[in-house]
Amino acid sequence: MSQPLVRLRSIDRRFGLIQALSGADLDLYPGEVHGVLGANGAGKSTLLNVLGGLVSPDSGGIEVGGALVKLRSPRDAWSLGIGLVHQHFTLVPALSVRDNLRLGLRGRSFSEAGAAVEATMARTGLRVPLETNVSELGVGDRQRTEILKALLRDPQVLVLDEPTAVLTPEEADGLFALLRDLAREGRAVALVAHKLDEVLAVSDRLTVLRTGRTAMTAPRSQVSVRKLVAKMLGDGVADEVAIGEQAGPSSDAVVAGNAQVSGGASVASLSTARGGTVVASLVAVHADSLKGVQLEVRAGEVRGIAGVEGNGQHDLALVLSGRKSPSLGRADIPKEVAFIPQDRHAEGLVADFDLTENVALALSRMEEFGPSVMMPWGVLRDEAERIRTRFEVVAPSTETRARFLSGGNQQRVIIGRELALNAPMLVAENPTRGLDVAAAAYVHGELLKLAAEGVAIVLISTDLDEVLGLADSVSVMTKGRIVEVSEAQKTREGVGALMLGGGEVSK
Amino acid sequence: MSGAISPKRAKETALLGLGAVTLTLGAAAVLLLLGGYDPTKAAAAMLRGSVGSWNTFVSITLVRAVPLLFAGLAVALAFRAGVWNIGAEGQLYVGAVAGVWVALTFTDLPGPFLITAALTASIVAGGVWALVPTLMKLRLGIGEVITTILMNFVGIYLAAWMVHGPLQERRGVFPQTDRIVDAARLPELISGTRLHLGFALALVLAGVLAFVLKRTRFGFHLRAVGASPAAAAAAGRIDPNRVILVTFLASGAIAGLAGGVEVTGLTYALYEDLSDGWGYTAIAVALLGGLRPGGVVVTAIFFGALQAGAGAMQRDAGIPAAWVDVVEALVILAVLGLDRIRAARAGYHRGEEAQ
Repeated sequence: MSQPLVRLRSIDRRFGLIQALSGADLDLYPGEVHGVLGANGAGKSTLLNVLGGLVSPDSGGIEVGGALVKLRSPRDAWSLGIGLVHQHFTLVPALSVRDNLRLGLRGRSFSEAGAAVEATMARTGLRVPLETNVSELGVGDRQRTEILKALLRDPQVLVLDEPTAVLTPEEADGLFALLRDLAREGRAVALVAHKLDEVLAVSDRLTVLRTGRTAMTAPRSQVSVRKLVAKMLGDGVADEVAIGEQAGPSSDAVVAGNAQVSGGASVASLSTARGGTVVASLVAVHADSLKGVQLEVRAGEVRGIAGVEGNGQHDLALVLSGRKSPSLGRADIPKEVAFIPQDRHAEGLVADFDLTENVALALSRMEEFGPSVMMPWGVLRDEAERIRTRFEVVAPSTETRARFLSGGNQQRVIIGRELALNAPMLVAENPTRGLDVAAAAYVHGELLKLAAEGVAIVLISTDLDEVLGLADSVSVMTKGRIVEVSEAQKTREGVGALMLGGGEVSK
Repeated sequence: MSGAISPKRAKETALLGLGAVTLTLGAAAVLLLLGGYDPTKAAAAMLRGSVGSWNTFVSITLVRAVPLLFAGLAVALAFRAGVWNIGAEGQLYVGAVAGVWVALTFTDLPGPFLITAALTASIVAGGVWALVPTLMKLRLGIGEVITTILMNFVGIYLAAWMVHGPLQERRGVFPQTDRIVDAARLPELISGTRLHLGFALALVLAGVLAFVLKRTRFGFHLRAVGASPAAAAAAGRIDPNRVILVTFLASGAIAGLAGGVEVTGLTYALYEDLSDGWGYTAIAVALLGGLRPGGVVVTAIFFGALQAGAGAMQRDAGIPAAWVDVVEALVILAVLGLDRIRAARAGYHRGEEAQ
């Protein structure tokens, strides 16, 4: 093989008490798409950030084109032709998309920059509303803008951290085709994505990180999915995952990446969803982005709602869970609704509260605590301890602050807390976003178990596989309205088309 | 991830405060040297003027600490709910105006009633003063930092106009009110000193606030809204606006009480420049106290000692009292700086947790 474009050698990096990377290696060769895999907290993002100049390593070497370099800032990385598309957004909210894109092209005239933007959009098929302010964009459009911004500068090495989390399947496929094209032109592409099947489909080579170390690097064609998962989670864990997922038919289904599809469908068919009583109904509901929503949710069913981000799903979640009242129309919902908000950090938990306080956030309003002026801390502490044990939250005690838990463990706390409410309905909004395979499987298992117990589940997700895999009935949200999906249309392509049909993309 | 557990928050805060004070005093010593003064002489004068004797400590340091205590508690309470009330200074002044007006007007009332009425008036006035920025925040979405700062000027000049106009002393010579009657004065706390009942009131208030924050439902909601309004609303079904309304008004009321207590406990009259910027110093007091009532008690007394020592420094060592303002500013900078360093060490300043 030719010489690598970039070589990272035994990179160490520590954040406070967390050793994010300890001896991680990564080689990127021209002409390859290189998938970086690993469980939550394995150090994927940190490694990519080192590559993009956002994080400087404590020790270890970075070679670009054979020469040892130091990357002190993203600017250093860019000057060496390394472009990072960050997991968190780095756009200026007050500027239009066009101006944000131009910002990346300083030194070129306005018209030149404008032409470059148009040309790149045409070449890549990434469509964004150029005149809209970034602050008004949905997450999907922001992500597209972010990718365009990186591509405009024509990097030799393109680094993408979770680029597809908020894209439609069709757009994700388009992006992957584009990444293949870029590789064919002799560039190197490094990619992190939580969905295993996506990474597998597009990558030439794979690097697996585990606890900050490179556990394996191999060509895609030479490793089995099973081996990959074993490497990601530690040898021998693959089977455990399968058992952990509720009624997952076989360990192979789980590790196949689209586990949710095969594993979930069989369980869904077991539940007796159809005949349940109506738990919640929305009639012609208007509220902010909702424009006349009809919806009926029955006990024991998993009601899946797919859609491109920013089509009113969040408002729907808020109305269904009683967090927002409709401005028009009628919403009959249970008095108490369990709620798993999409943003764990911002809405699910208070990062600086400990486990007990986070549990108290929901439980202290339960009727058994009465209209008391005082907080029943003793009871709440016991309840938090019970949740920590029962849901196997990895935290030394109930006095641990939520901030210091991994994403999967944060979600366990939220699920445990919401289940303790004993509500007749649960609304979950992108409940597995950013979770690794094992954690996602766990969440899916809990949702299906609940449905089997007769709880009505509303699963709102931009992850089409998740919705198709778990839901008994599927609807699509576009532009604040709900479109029912017929049985015949319940395929990836069929639903995907509906999602795009009335999607957020203007023009 | 199990290793990544933060030490106890209280200990963290205490260490932070200690670090800030040490850093500050070191920097102040260097500045004094550069200014041509003798730092040891300054330090000796400061200590003598603040904690040199029992009477100095009680009659000067603790007396100076009283308005800082009330205003510091007011600011800390607001900040805990994420309400950036920078308006304690103005709220304090209108509280003083209202208290003095009641004390001068209803002189027929028997002692306990008159003093209660005066303090109640100052509480109400402070709350009303805070109501304006509260409504502007909740109804119009205007940031309270700006509005509370602007309301300060209105409050300060309202007091100035009062002592030049409607409430000016009968002789009409000085810009001050008549002295209030004995019945309207807070009794002394320790006989033979200038320390008045206001100090005890402040300690009781600190205890009550600590209890409310820790034990009560409202206190929990207040902390939740302060830490994350979005999570409070989504996960806790708490209405952040209601919490903000109540907290903002309570904060203004406490700051108003600071003014009422000062005029009924110490000065017995309203002056144009009653407050030495206490409402602003209170922000440093609150931050340095970790926004906790117990911490505020400690830092308010510390700042009281600084201000008491400033006078002695000027008299005995010939060093301008303005140097103490420098020290106070340095304390604030050190606290902010150390807090950022602590945050960076924990590694969450860029959302890098658990990666």
